[in-house]
Amino acid sequence: MEAVGLALLGALKLSLKLVVIVVPLVMAFEVLRYLPFFRRAARLSNPLMRGVGLSPAAAVPLFTGIFLGIAYGAGIIIRVAQEQQLDKRELFLMGLFLATCHAVVEDTLIFVVIGGDGVAMLGLRLLLACGLTALLAHWWKHPRTIDAKPDRLQP
Amino acid sequence: MEIAIPDIPTRLRTGFNAGLQTAWKLVKYVVPLYLLVELLKGTGLLDTLGTLFAPTMALFGLPGETALAFLAAGLLNLYAALAILVPLQLEPWQVTQCGLMMGIAHNLLLEGGVLRSTGTRAGLLTLARILLAIFAGLLYRGLHSMGIF
Repeated sequence: MEAVGLALLGALKLSLKLVVIVVPLVMAFEVLRYLPFFRRAARLSNPLMRGVGLSPAAAVPLFTGIFLGIAYGAGIIIRVAQEQQLDKRELFLMGLFLATCHAVVEDTLIFVVIGGDGVAMLGLRLLLACGLTALLAHWWKHPRTIDAKPDRLQP
Repeated sequence: MEIAIPDIPTRLRTGFNAGLQTAWKLVKYVVPLYLLVELLKGTGLLDTLGTLFAPTMALFGLPGETALAFLAAGLLNLYAALAILVPLQLEPWQVTQCGLMMGIAHNLLLEGGVLRSTGTRAGLLTLARILLAIFAGLLYRGLHSMGIF
């Protein structure tokens, strides 16, 4: 019985730690999300966006997804895809980036709480997502190159 | 995309409610799973599982027991995985390793559905996530053993 009590205490402590992080984080985002920051960040990141094969139209859904997560960002992704004529290639590239790199603030923080290195987690994740998307964007433009290395797409 | 901007108190309230909703979702996973793992530690079932997966997880520098956390991350979410990881008492760099790999590939069923709803090829994207997580894990393990990170 004592073991159950101790385990319950541990579980509640971890829960409390997570609640203390998540609630203020979501509140802060809700307050800040209307600032022109996102648009400005999108403009600054234009060269980087082009590097991974995306047009400026993809900036808002991309940044929403990176900070908020796919589930939250999906509504915006679907709307922008329909309104701003993102083609299949761009939609897939954006999907690839977001599938591997989304909700980065919350995901990283909860692992920092239990002792992880935030810089390593965030840095490597961003780096790999950019690299993979840029690589695919590069191949997709040149169909012959895709044929030469199909194993990277269909292993 | 111009939307009417709500005032600060409304935003705070919306944020608080949304935050509590997320927090509740996470407590729902964390409490039962944390309890389960703590209690399984006494039975030896976790040890059996750990031995079974030890060779695979050793590729990433992790103990075999973490396989259960990876399963929870893939099928459920990161909070479920976290609840399983904490009682295992990993080294800090191992926590980072889990955070990196699981951060890339988690909640695959639900998020796969969401990706599909945007009209793109969700199956291929999910496969890409799993492969990238494996690649990231091997890369980080390598960097760690070289003394970087």
